[in-house]
Amino acid sequence: MSPTPAAASAANWIVLKFGGTSVSTRARWDKIAAIASDWRGRGRRVLIVVSALSGITDQLKAICEASADRAPCAAIAQAIAARHQAMFAELELGRRNGIDGWLQRLDQLLDDPRRAPRDLSWQAEILALGELMSSTLGVAYLNAGGLTARWLDAREHLSAQALPNQNAWSRYLSASVPVLVDAALGARLAALGEVFITQGFIASNMDGETVVLGRGGSDTSASYFGALLKAEKVEIWTDVAGMFSANPHQVPNARLLARLDYEEAQEIATTGAKVLHPRCINPLREARVPLAIKDTNYPHLAGTQIAGTVADAAPSIKAVSSRRGIVLIAMESIGMWQQVGFLADVFEHFKRHGLSIDLIGSAETNVTVSLDPGENLVDTDVLSALCADLAKVCRVKVIAPCAAITLVGRGMRGMLHKLSGVLAEFGSLRVHLISQSSNNLNLTFVVDEDVAADLVPRLHALLTKAEAMRVEDAAVFGPSWRELYTLRQTAAPVPWWRERRAVLLDLAREHTPRYVYDLSCVRAQAQALRAAIACVDRWFYAIKANAHPAILREIAAQGFGLECVSPGELARAGEAAPESALLFTPNFAPREEYAAAFARGANVTVDNLHPLAYWGHVFSGRDLILRLDLGTGRGHHDKVKTGGAQSKFGLALDELAEFRRLAAAHGARIVGLHAHLGSGILDIAHWKDVYVQLASLGERIGSVRLLNIGGGLGVPARGDETPLDLSALGPVLAEVKTAYPQFELWAEPGRYLVADAGVLLARVTQVKRKGEVRYVGCDAGMNSLIRPALYEAWHEIVNLTRLDESTSELVQIVGPICESGDVLGSNRRLPPAQEGDVLLIAQTGAYGAAMASHYNLRDPADEVVL
Amino acid sequence: MASTLANPRQAQSFRFVRCGYATGEAELVYAFDDGPDLIERIGFPDAPTLPEERKPAFSAALRLLHLIAGVSYYKAGVPPRIVVEGVPLDVATAEFLDQIYLHGLAEFAYQNKLDLRGRISFARHSREGGNPVLHSEKKELDPGLRRGDGQKPEVLWLPRRTLVPIGGGKDSLVSVEMLKSIREPMTAVWVGDSALIAACAQRTGLPMLNLKRRLAPELFEYNRLGAWNGHIPVTAINSAILLCAAILYGYDAIAFSNEASASAATLEYDGQPVNHQWSKSLDFERGLREYTKSHIAADMDYFSLLRPWSELAVTRAFARQTRYDDVFSSCNRNFRIRGERPADRWCGQCPKCHFVFLALAPFVAKPRLLGIFGRNLLDDATLASGFDALLEYREHKPFECVGEGGESRAAMYTLSQRPEWREDALIARFAEEILPQLNPAGLALEPLLAPSPEHFLPPRLQGLLDAA
Repeated sequence: MSPTPAAASAANWIVLKFGGTSVSTRARWDKIAAIASDWRGRGRRVLIVVSALSGITDQLKAICEASADRAPCAAIAQAIAARHQAMFAELELGRRNGIDGWLQRLDQLLDDPRRAPRDLSWQAEILALGELMSSTLGVAYLNAGGLTARWLDAREHLSAQALPNQNAWSRYLSASVPVLVDAALGARLAALGEVFITQGFIASNMDGETVVLGRGGSDTSASYFGALLKAEKVEIWTDVAGMFSANPHQVPNARLLARLDYEEAQEIATTGAKVLHPRCINPLREARVPLAIKDTNYPHLAGTQIAGTVADAAPSIKAVSSRRGIVLIAMESIGMWQQVGFLADVFEHFKRHGLSIDLIGSAETNVTVSLDPGENLVDTDVLSALCADLAKVCRVKVIAPCAAITLVGRGMRGMLHKLSGVLAEFGSLRVHLISQSSNNLNLTFVVDEDVAADLVPRLHALLTKAEAMRVEDAAVFGPSWRELYTLRQTAAPVPWWRERRAVLLDLAREHTPRYVYDLSCVRAQAQALRAAIACVDRWFYAIKANAHPAILREIAAQGFGLECVSPGELARAGEAAPESALLFTPNFAPREEYAAAFARGANVTVDNLHPLAYWGHVFSGRDLILRLDLGTGRGHHDKVKTGGAQSKFGLALDELAEFRRLAAAHGARIVGLHAHLGSGILDIAHWKDVYVQLASLGERIGSVRLLNIGGGLGVPARGDETPLDLSALGPVLAEVKTAYPQFELWAEPGRYLVADAGVLLARVTQVKRKGEVRYVGCDAGMNSLIRPALYEAWHEIVNLTRLDESTSELVQIVGPICESGDVLGSNRRLPPAQEGDVLLIAQTGAYGAAMASHYNLRDPADEVVL
Repeated sequence: MASTLANPRQAQSFRFVRCGYATGEAELVYAFDDGPDLIERIGFPDAPTLPEERKPAFSAALRLLHLIAGVSYYKAGVPPRIVVEGVPLDVATAEFLDQIYLHGLAEFAYQNKLDLRGRISFARHSREGGNPVLHSEKKELDPGLRRGDGQKPEVLWLPRRTLVPIGGGKDSLVSVEMLKSIREPMTAVWVGDSALIAACAQRTGLPMLNLKRRLAPELFEYNRLGAWNGHIPVTAINSAILLCAAILYGYDAIAFSNEASASAATLEYDGQPVNHQWSKSLDFERGLREYTKSHIAADMDYFSLLRPWSELAVTRAFARQTRYDDVFSSCNRNFRIRGERPADRWCGQCPKCHFVFLALAPFVAKPRLLGIFGRNLLDDATLASGFDALLEYREHKPFECVGEGGESRAAMYTLSQRPEWREDALIARFAEEILPQLNPAGLALEPLLAPSPEHFLPPRLQGLLDAA
């Protein structure tokens, strides 16, 4: 088929859509002009689709809601007029009859007899004014700036059609426009000009009345126009670079999705991403018009390109998204079994109440469906009415509030084997429903809503780690949100050991395996911590991380107390710090240890009823700190709740009253409360949470004067992990301190102070190749460093001897211990290693030597301090 | 200073040392025996200059505040003697304070196994002792107190507008919306630094007034030394602070938001009724109204707008608008830090959370309610005993500001008849285990929603009786 002249001319239309914030300032309009001119310069014709000025649609809605009385409507109308007059002035436009015409129309509508009864056609006319006004201001401004543009009334081109089952409300206020390709339109417009500006959100119906498209309407308008013109491309210009592999506010490491097919984009948009309204994708898919999402502030970024399926792309999970406010309806019936038409009857009720079903799971006696969050669920008693109807045919249970966590990616079922670690995350949660569609695009878990926010970042990290989300595929995954938008982003500091390479090689020549500690690094960490978090009154170092005497002395010299968990640690710490600076926090220790700790003057923490119940005399007249398990009874984090009950640390909250009674009975005073979350926590919200909870408990116990929020400050290992933002943590804790000034704040970091300060040096003993797998053996094994085997910890490993050579081999770095788990690092890129080369395993200053053993009767690494 | 502090439980006397006001700050001074001055400060931001004609009324209100706010300190030691320095109290004042201290500390006494009867006694100068010397002293120092001797306070011609204290919970927000409906001129006021209350006040859209209150720091030290601790009648203290504020800034009415159920005793102990919310009760309201009119300002109207209604009627009124859903909290855990999640406002564990959840449930679409709380408390079997206490089933009503047992039972019964609720763990349990033991006649919701005639609503607000 040879192209018609019309088709040829239509092929070069570009549709650009700009949202409310993009049309609300003069500077933004200049950007619109620049983007349009740029396309114009490349020989394209441009149709610009705009939203109303930001906030205006809400105000117009408020007029609709207040329609009964004219006075409040008029007040809002006045504000709307003022806003547009201000915009008019800001744009320094000359002729005001355009905008005044619309403002007059607004006044007329307030006196319209349809106002008081809140007629739907009247509401649609009111709502449409926002876009009519913004596009009127815009066309004047573009022309004033020298870009000749014509104003197009969208209602003349987008014609809504009533759908079957569509009620009157949605026919006017959430209208649908059939997807059409009108080859002639492009040619017709091309004859009129080169740049056009029109309104998002609005259309007309068959009777010529104004209707609006509902939520996300402006994006959808751009799509309709894109299809109508069979445009070369539709670009949605917004404030973010595109769609991301997760909500960047939850997952700063979420990656920009550079390339998606229509179905994937639709799935991601539907399951949580806010940047694009899902309705806008279908018209473009039908018309085969590509869509791009672009960031107005960074026009050079490629953004997200959405088009047809990419042939032979490797399967990958593209995104993990979450939707809150999900309501599940579980319907239970024994009569369901093989009963023809049961489901049809049940679904009929949903239809009648205007509720649309999203996910479905079924068993012989149960059908569970999910309802998406909708205003009608919250504002009306529709759910109650639905349940009353359903209760006639089955037992019905409402499960809410839930969140649907969805993994999106084409070829999901082919990736199941990679998801074992990911699925394990759901093990301790209540999963109400699992759904997977036959189009193989998604896998959805419905869980309690309150766990979703914490779950998504963990899943994202696990998907990356499992390589189910193949973020290294640059064709699909762009840079992370953090890289794009965290302006404070600075290059990772050069680790100290790079500068001390020669010294380290000398030390390795003397002896390997060997831990080397850099005290200046310890000092710097300690000082940085104190400076960044000034509201902590007393710092303690958890010496179990590394109890080397030189390190203890250095940290004590920085004003830290020492936190100990055994008599051995107390003895060691006592050599470096005064007794009053010691904090004894044992767990299931025998009674004599508490007595001894009191006797030497240490601060003592208790975390169980048993000591007070059976040997309360030990605590008689003493001050003690109580370690609580905030997980139990806290109730809003099931994950923590389970973790709490299964953790051997801390007193359950429901035993607090009994603990206080016992303490009072023995004349012991609870002077402090303590909780410790766990280790390696990179999210500052957790500390605030613990601090606030301890404070609100502490203020009910008159004797409490201090709160110990523990440690667990995370140390990022991989480059793609977000470092703990100390500068953000400080103000967060200070905010709580201001609210509860009566409590001293204590904290007890361990690993944070010393991890970076230590490296493990090892010598290459042998290399081996088995099939495709290459092994580099060294003389340090899990008896020197057990963290990789025990916690799957990731430590950077370099060949110090060949630090600057290219890392051309993919290898497994293993030790000499007779255990298959004796692997220090797997799938690492290193230069080809030779026997005698020195390997450096980084970030081993914490829990390295401290956890070493003589397993296999091999001596672990010795320790040297620089 | 701290070294001179002794355990207040060893003290022989509690002294009201003095009080004063200057440029936006009131100073309330107390002491145990000869211990250090305990100075509480009340801040009145952007305070206008006090007009001359209001000075007597203000100093009478300040004196009352001094006397009432002393309860926070007195309770730390509960010494045998109460000494009011300066002008002696008249009979009415002393009796009113005896009531406030005795009833307001009843729960404190019950929890600490103390008997305060006979111990709390404010000295008064006798009725017949219209001692001229004393009288002239008063005239100089404390003109407000003259009124106790039968001389009515003057009409101050305060501006016709209302202070509406905001508590962060549903009640005051219901009041605000009721008063908005009749275009009452008003200001949202609160005492202290709660970010949650500030957010609620902000959301009302009203002019705001945030009064500050700083307890004497020594009180924390006393607590560490082993002071008595427990519930105090904080609404009485706040009421007195607001009386001062109303005179200072010029308001002729203070509309609190206490319901009918606040008047019901939580339990009876050793022959004495113990009401956790005594200072929110009709008794206290009546007492303070009368005292205000007789001793402070004839045209000051102190009342509770929600007094005619039950908790359930108030929750029904609250359910009518959604504007506060994501800011309010009635949870009794002291959330001083604001967070975005429901769990940052509702602990889900305390009786207040349980009650408000239950009381809203009959009137609010289930998804909305679950959205407010972030979870379904009635589908959590581990909370059974908490809800049992609300129903007064096997347990006594909790020491919290919660509705009466009958209200909870009616709400629970209503839910057990609703298909969208009845399969939830605690509703199903109620239907199976508790409902059969109850008299069905007492379970209807409707009778509990009717306004009661016991209230002090000024005539201009009586139209609201049909509004809830």
